[in-house]
Amino acid sequence: MTGRYLLAKDHLVPLLRKIAKSNRLVAPVLNEYGDTLFSHITDLDSAAIDLAHQPQNSLKSFFFPQTEKLSTYLVEKSPKTGNVRYNFYPHTVENQPTAYVGVRSCDMFAVMYTDMTFLHNGERDNYYQKRRDNAFFITLACNHPFPNCFCNATRSGPFLELGYDLQLTDLGDRYFVETGRSRGMKIVEQMGQFFKPASEADRREQFQLALEARGLFQRNVHVELASKILQEQDEPVGIISELSSRCQDCAGCAYVCPTCTCFNIADLPLDEESGERIRSWDACTFAGFSKMAGDHNPVQCESQRVRKRFLHKLLHDVAKHGRPSCVGCGRCVDICFGGVDIISFVDRVVKTIDHCRDVD
Amino acid sequence: MAGLATTFGSGAMTNSINELDHAQVVLVSGSNTTEAHPQVARRIYGCVDRGAKLIVIDPRRTKIARYADLHLQLRPGTDIPLLNGIMRSIIDENLVDDLFIEMRTENFFAMRDMLLQIDLDQVAATTNVSKCMIRQAARIYAQAQRSVICYCLGVTQHICGTSNVQSYANLAMLTGHVEQEFTGVDPLRGQNNVQGACDMAALPNVLPGYQSLDDPGVRNKFKQSWGVELPKTQGVTLLDMTHGGSVWSEGFEQLPEPIRAMYIMGENPMLSDPGIKHVEATLRDLDFLVVADIFLTETAVLADVVFPAASFAEKIGTVTNSERRVQLMNQAITPVGNSRTDDKIIAGIASRFGYDMEYESSAEIMEEICLLTPLYGGMYHDRLKGSWGLQWPCSDRTHDGTQYLHKYSFTRGRGRFEPGDHVEPAEPLSEEYPFLLITGRAYHHYHTGTMTRRSHTLVREHDRPYIDMHPEDGKRLGLQRGDMVQVDSRRGTCNFTVKLTDQMAPGELYCDFHFHEAPVNTLTISCSDPVARCPEFKICAVKAEKVAL
Repeated sequence: MTGRYLLAKDHLVPLLRKIAKSNRLVAPVLNEYGDTLFSHITDLDSAAIDLAHQPQNSLKSFFFPQTEKLSTYLVEKSPKTGNVRYNFYPHTVENQPTAYVGVRSCDMFAVMYTDMTFLHNGERDNYYQKRRDNAFFITLACNHPFPNCFCNATRSGPFLELGYDLQLTDLGDRYFVETGRSRGMKIVEQMGQFFKPASEADRREQFQLALEARGLFQRNVHVELASKILQEQDEPVGIISELSSRCQDCAGCAYVCPTCTCFNIADLPLDEESGERIRSWDACTFAGFSKMAGDHNPVQCESQRVRKRFLHKLLHDVAKHGRPSCVGCGRCVDICFGGVDIISFVDRVVKTIDHCRDVD
Repeated sequence: MAGLATTFGSGAMTNSINELDHAQVVLVSGSNTTEAHPQVARRIYGCVDRGAKLIVIDPRRTKIARYADLHLQLRPGTDIPLLNGIMRSIIDENLVDDLFIEMRTENFFAMRDMLLQIDLDQVAATTNVSKCMIRQAARIYAQAQRSVICYCLGVTQHICGTSNVQSYANLAMLTGHVEQEFTGVDPLRGQNNVQGACDMAALPNVLPGYQSLDDPGVRNKFKQSWGVELPKTQGVTLLDMTHGGSVWSEGFEQLPEPIRAMYIMGENPMLSDPGIKHVEATLRDLDFLVVADIFLTETAVLADVVFPAASFAEKIGTVTNSERRVQLMNQAITPVGNSRTDDKIIAGIASRFGYDMEYESSAEIMEEICLLTPLYGGMYHDRLKGSWGLQWPCSDRTHDGTQYLHKYSFTRGRGRFEPGDHVEPAEPLSEEYPFLLITGRAYHHYHTGTMTRRSHTLVREHDRPYIDMHPEDGKRLGLQRGDMVQVDSRRGTCNFTVKLTDQMAPGELYCDFHFHEAPVNTLTISCSDPVARCPEFKICAVKAEKVAL
């Protein structure tokens, strides 16, 4: 049963201070260079928590770091046989409970999506799971979507119906608080001094805001239509090569994408006798991602570089998981300086097909 | 740099990068823009989307060349005749900007007289570009209101580099395409701070901000601030340092006294300079060699003392980019291990010499730069913080920086036409060495790979030295994709994996110099431009043959 409460804005930091006694805190923080990033907060009084802007990073790196040590290896001589061999010693992940605060619906949705990759496919990824197990989420509903947002089109926002522990909605001087998963309820019970029950009027106000927010999107992106078109036919000729020619091969889109989870594994020697096995983010737009022995590459990088990425998001993941793996956060739109983003792909797919229909 | 300095009076991009968005014609020369300057390339793509015309002058059919409306695939080293041909066409078609020439330039008559001697058929034969394309390029460039020239090392790294640059400057002045917003002559500088290094007088003949070493007033100003008398003699150029003073010094300026000690910072001449054997001999002949770098480079290995320097992420300071923009770099982490920032290393050495450099911070050093360098007069750290920086000239705290140069008049007063003649490459092709080798840079690696070859993702993307060859040449040599090929010049040998591609013209080869496994600069020649002393990295004669496995 979802509970509905009110939290005065003045009481947010005091609430977080209590929560921080037994949790690490992660929230959007405005740094001294003017960038808002999800960051660990060590000192609540000096950190400038910024709930007004979309953080430039998603939560991905907190569960799946950009570079992560998997194990250490030592070149050791077996005392029995005298043979020299590589012995691997797995790296253990610290396992501190963490509260993620100010998470918007797209990012919360993305966490649930990456769970499907790391936790629901047969073998579980221990490194991911350790970090994920002790996480809880105080999310923030989006009253005002940002210029490149389109979570309405990917059905991942701007308000959440599940996944959160507590969801806050900004009602001006106070937050409307909904409890979702059990940890959220527990917080309200343990720290009841901060919460007041919400009235029917408050609930109506929140409902009204949720309705209005849906009308405030500046981009009209036909994600579902594009998915449907791609299921029915090959992607229209020319779109991929046009966008690929603008791609500068920086992988910024995959790195900022909250649901891109491809990684590569490498062994890095530290000296003659030891080294580390690490994994690091990878991207399907890199030529080396699909390069095979003898330098054969099934992907023509110059003309098809971005094909795999867009089809994965809008076609293959729909077949596998029943929905596109784009959550509409707009970060790839913000970061790509060649204009090779998912919105431009969707627009072109939909436009070409409309055009074809006109011709028919 | 020297080329633009003599014609315009200032050796830097005249425009800002953003102005490219509004150009009507972009002429790109000797620049593999999509790989070497992607941030510039995307603006070129953008303005072409908005209807601008793109002309590319390059011996290779690069990605940007394939995107161009007009690709002039010239024979390497024939920029001057090609430009003379274009300018001759402009005169023939009466597209000259007479008013601009009258008001803003000098020496035009010499230029005109030279151009009237030009025979377009001769030009077409020399450059391998058809007359029709030359005329088309002339019309497209001259008829537009806002035409921009972007050039890079394909223009400068020739024995006639200075004259090449002057030719592009001549073209811009002839049509009045300079001194205004959205139109000018823009050298794309390579590294994040090569402009800043020049600005701070990492040049042999000037003081910071290009102030003359010979000017007593300037010398006095520095003397007052530093408390020492400045030497009056000019320094020597990099090539004279690494090639002079050794048994290999033939053809180089004989230094009055051989150099006996060197202090090299963040540079790896054992891979990056031409004629590596000469470089090695010079470095080994030194009494004392000090190298400061973040990794033990090929050069550092030869040093008597190596200082572990801090990386970009470990220090605070400014860098100056192509468009003269001074930007503040913020320290992200404290120096790792025993490494120190460059300024601490230098100050440490100075104090052992008995001269204390007592700077509290990088900001204090910047205050001194502001005080002594008029170009940087208002570039205080507090002004640069939290912004995208300021573009020089910026004279004082109230100055907002300068978007484009030479507004209303050239820095040197009048722009000077410098007529140029074709200069044959230093090393002609021969029967024994029939291929022309062009060297350059690849997308995934930076310079000698000191840093990038330590990133496993970048190494996966580009893991070995390749050489590009036209498929016909490959066929003739019995080569297939992935075969090993041995390339010899009169000076050395390197092995590469061959890539057969029609990006190359037949008879021409291309490779990058990032790999110590194939030290390309053992092949290149040490001949250089007589003014700028920039080596002819872009042309040398080689032979190639298949390596039997």
